[in-house]
Amino acid sequence: MDDLLIVEGNVTPLSSKTHITYQFHIDEPAACLDIAFAYSSKALEDREASRRMILEAIDKYAEPSISELQKQHWERFVPLQNLLTLSLDDPSGFRGSAHRHPPEQHHLLTEEQASPGFIAGPLPSGIWKLTISIHCVVTPECHYRLVVRKGGNADAMGTI
Amino acid sequence: MPWVPFELHTHTPHSDGRHSLLEMCREAKKLGLGGIALTDHNTLSGMAEANAAQEETGVAIIPGMEWTTFYGHMLTLGAPYCEWRDLGPRDIHKGIQRVHEAGGIVGIAHPYSMGSPICTGCHWEYEIQNWNDIDYVEVWHEMMPPYKHHNIPAFQQWTSLLNEGFRITATAGRDWHHSEHADGWSAFTYVGLEKESERSRPESVVSAIRHGRCIVSMGPLLHVEAAHGGATYGIGDIITVLSPETATIELRIQVEPSSVPGRTADEMQVTKLIVESNAGELAILPRTDQQGAAECSIPAAGIRWLRVKAAGMLAGGHATLAFTNPVYILAASNDELREPYSDVEEMDGVPAWQSRNIAAFTDGIPPEKHGTEKGATEK
Repeated sequence: MDDLLIVEGNVTPLSSKTHITYQFHIDEPAACLDIAFAYSSKALEDREASRRMILEAIDKYAEPSISELQKQHWERFVPLQNLLTLSLDDPSGFRGSAHRHPPEQHHLLTEEQASPGFIAGPLPSGIWKLTISIHCVVTPECHYRLVVRKGGNADAMGTI
Repeated sequence: MPWVPFELHTHTPHSDGRHSLLEMCREAKKLGLGGIALTDHNTLSGMAEANAAQEETGVAIIPGMEWTTFYGHMLTLGAPYCEWRDLGPRDIHKGIQRVHEAGGIVGIAHPYSMGSPICTGCHWEYEIQNWNDIDYVEVWHEMMPPYKHHNIPAFQQWTSLLNEGFRITATAGRDWHHSEHADGWSAFTYVGLEKESERSRPESVVSAIRHGRCIVSMGPLLHVEAAHGGATYGIGDIITVLSPETATIELRIQVEPSSVPGRTADEMQVTKLIVESNAGELAILPRTDQQGAAECSIPAAGIRWLRVKAAGMLAGGHATLAFTNPVYILAASNDELREPYSDVEEMDGVPAWQSRNIAAFTDGIPPEKHGTEKGATEK
């Protein structure tokens, strides 16, 4: 297993609605690609901050006729959560994404199989891109870590 | 024309759904659905499982995707993956063009859902410069859609757009994420196809939705026939009226109850049919006889579109049970229709906005054969 990318960083609410793209090079065609992604915190624990953000969203998005009722029941929108999702591009284009909530994810790609959301197939040499789409950060800070490794032997990767 | 019940908004573990495609199709079969659109968030990888699921269950699977972006969720049907990550809130037309060029159509999903941070990107915030680019809008979202608050402004917005002269299809979408027991019912989008077997051809389903051949319903099917000038027309068709001041359109509406358990005539009883238009309600037809067809004569003057809505009982309350997409009426000599669009290019003497459905997407049929009376059948 060869490490291709080990990166980490912090994002804040200002990074909501932005993408972070990492670019890496695969030298020889790989038999498998292993992507580990984790971020924390996931949920906003601060009750007062949650209430404020929910009321703001209701003012912005709810029908005026029902917004007062929605506000009374603001707690049903708790907990507010961060959402960061991954997508992958190989040298010739899109290879899939994992739009889902769990803040710890592990994805594998080989020629025959791929984790849900990704597209199985050859893993050619060239420039690859891995994008973190930061849909929303509600906590004052959110830390992420992303590790990409490649293997020459798909069997060494375990099951997908 | 066979009307095939579809579920047009679904998810699997390829995004954040909790049932496999096969599990969902087994459930779909129990619900009486003839097809689904697989619209996972930002990926089409789930289609790798489509052949096996379709073979086992007989439920047709149409490829789609839900663009799950920062500024809105947009459903695509019949297109491969098209790029969204490089688009800002004023760039949606660039994105729509990508889908259209790839042979697909786009629909705004749940336009009035709560947005971030409650539901990220769920409220439509993209700036739309030209509504002609939007093929459909999911005006009924989630389970029991007639009772959902966020569907009210979506339905109103669709009606306003029709009044402004746009031809946009309305659909339903359950936003189906799991097959566990659910209270209540989802709505169907009945799609009008030439033949039953066309339901597994994405091009046919896409074409039907693009042309407005859709009925949105909790169960009952509304067969609508509009007769004018010796021809009959159906939902999604355009009737050209030569002398609108004196002409009438003869409407014939037949309610076909669903045979799906929970949605039958006893359980979802239609109590009245309402003919709606750009001029408001044109007729209210009480339903006491559930068997016979309702008929009415509509003066064509000033009418640009009309649709039929069925009201009745749903889970102990009064609600809209079903509504059709419009039959459109084009007053051939009415120049004032052109005014708001006079700056757009004309095609064969028909303003581009009027010919949008027929010119931009003729499915290979030359405009002269398609005409403005597409779908009309001689009596």
